[in-house]
Amino acid sequence: MQCAESLRVQAYFDGELDALSAADIERHSGTCAECSALLDDIKQTRAALRHDLGYESTPPELRARIMRALDQEIEAKLPRLQRQRITGRRLRPFWQGAFSGIGGTAIAAGMAFFLLAPALTNPLLDDLVSAHVRSLMPDHLIDVVSTDKHTVKPWFAGHTDVSPVVADFDQQGYRLIGGRADYFDHQRAAVVVYQHGSHVINVFSWAATTGSVPKDTTRNGYHLAFWKTGDLVYCAVSDTAWDELLGLVRLLQDMSTRDAS
Amino acid sequence: MEDRRDRFEAQVLPHLDAAYRFARWLSRSPADADDLVQEAVLRAFRGFDALRGSDVKAWLLTIVKNCHLTALKQQQRRGFVPLPEEHDVQDGHAMIATTPDPEGSSIRRDEARTLDQLMSALPEDQREVLVLREIEEMDYREIATVTNVPIGTVMSRLARARAALKTRWIKQIDGERHAVR
Repeated sequence: MQCAESLRVQAYFDGELDALSAADIERHSGTCAECSALLDDIKQTRAALRHDLGYESTPPELRARIMRALDQEIEAKLPRLQRQRITGRRLRPFWQGAFSGIGGTAIAAGMAFFLLAPALTNPLLDDLVSAHVRSLMPDHLIDVVSTDKHTVKPWFAGHTDVSPVVADFDQQGYRLIGGRADYFDHQRAAVVVYQHGSHVINVFSWAATTGSVPKDTTRNGYHLAFWKTGDLVYCAVSDTAWDELLGLVRLLQDMSTRDAS
Repeated sequence: MEDRRDRFEAQVLPHLDAAYRFARWLSRSPADADDLVQEAVLRAFRGFDALRGSDVKAWLLTIVKNCHLTALKQQQRRGFVPLPEEHDVQDGHAMIATTPDPEGSSIRRDEARTLDQLMSALPEDQREVLVLREIEEMDYREIATVTNVPIGTVMSRLARARAALKTRWIKQIDGERHAVR
């Protein structure tokens, strides 16, 4: 026979009751053996489900397919003239626009492209997103598998040109799962890999070659957060929410400040 | 246009994983799930301007659910005969961690596979509330929105799903223990 309070016990467990009813149910389940067993059961079920089934994220191939579908959707929606202008701008070198047209308009269009191009297609950002996506392919994520910073950090010394800050923030929800060497911006960059819930966060680091650090941005659904510490540029890439990504960034920044002082 | 795309990517795509996981539980095969997610994201993009409020995740998952229902109707019109339930149970959904896990053991993976199969064996209306509650951590009101049923129904389905899973889970584990002996 099921206790009449069982649905309210469940609602209590799910945090759906107001304080008064919650206190009521706490008292009740203290005396009702059936309801206290029910609480244990749903707690166990939840733990098993979250532990075993929670970690599944979109395969990178599917994400890329969806991005292409969105591209097509946008292009199909545009009026024909504008569509030509945009695809033209993407595909044709700027000087064709500047010299094939007549008069100032074409030259202005060419110039506009010339000025806009670096912002639209920053190769560094594309490299970072590609490296992140590549890392999510089977067997590409981690070169050195360890949750111990004393294993990961020395490994970088032999395999990359930089020595980034490495720490485990398991307590705060960012578990260190390993490190990887990658190559871009003509350097052997270091990548520290964290897991946050079901998401992988890659923290890239390389020696700064210019004074400026790119602005935080979102590309293909991945967030990229940049910062600079000493002569190293860092970039954290993931598809987590911004707040969660920036949480890790703050922890790493705090860690560097502490190390420096 | 580019600006709208940027806003869409920043607001909606962080929930792509949730949409994907939900689609995997709703669909019969991984390929169906892929198509379902893509269709849902495109529909979401088309309807993005109508999105009000902050509950983006529930909004996106509602679209996934609606796309799923539309696809089912189309299959039925074409005379598609669904595979028997037992088939699903055999295959499971393989919703098992794919991210590398240094501490992962084969025992854990076996457990996950068992749980996966048990989940697949639940009736769809129970499975979906359980997934939305336990994996996606949505509250009753959000689950009611996504599944388009009253909150009371959400509660009773959730209770049935939890009880069924618990019973089958215990049976399975006992069965395995006996098999070892």
